[in-house]
Amino acid sequence: MEFVLQLIAILAVALGTFLSTLGVLGYIRLPDVYTRLHAVGKVGVFGVVGLLVGAVVWTPLGVGKGIVLIAFLLLAGPVTAHSLASAAYRIGIVPVGLIRDDLTRDLEAQPALSASQTSQPPDPAA
Amino acid sequence: MSTILNYTLYLALLVHTGLLAVVLWRVWFGENVIDRLTGAELLSTLTLAILVLLALVERDSMFIDVALGLAAVGFIGIIALAKYLADEQMY
Repeated sequence: MEFVLQLIAILAVALGTFLSTLGVLGYIRLPDVYTRLHAVGKVGVFGVVGLLVGAVVWTPLGVGKGIVLIAFLLLAGPVTAHSLASAAYRIGIVPVGLIRDDLTRDLEAQPALSASQTSQPPDPAA
Repeated sequence: MSTILNYTLYLALLVHTGLLAVVLWRVWFGENVIDRLTGAELLSTLTLAILVLLALVERDSMFIDVALGLAAVGFIGIIALAKYLADEQMY
């Protein structure tokens, strides 16, 4: 039993470290804010969760805390990536190789959807 | 088997420390503000990974409590900064 738990911990830690390295490599090499966000999401969702699976099977008293932290990470990772991508779009960063932009068309058709429409920055000339 | 696990954990700690250094360099020379904010989130996530690895090395689940607090604080901070950048106001 000890042997099997140690084997699971070794495999989980090795897989998590490998996926974290891949995510950081994508953060360094990819050309665009949006594609970089795609790579960074992999570190939070797969890398740390892999390490936590190892911690759940091998750390004493770590089962409940580990499962709570896994659930929190699986909820928080997509929310963070979505908010960062939305902020990047709204401050005007254009994706590389953009060929069709439905969100700008929808925001111009319905200005009430735009959050920044209600809070215009103060005019420096006034 | 226990020595192999210890070697794997020390190697993983070394790799994660190197990744922290690389990401810190990339945040310092970042392109725009969202790029740097993404890097800050990645720094928070890698610190979380180092805390989980410390819990595995010491076989002490107290480090997972610290990691839970760090995850909550980093999540709230990133969300607040992204909303501030998008809307030019916090609330």
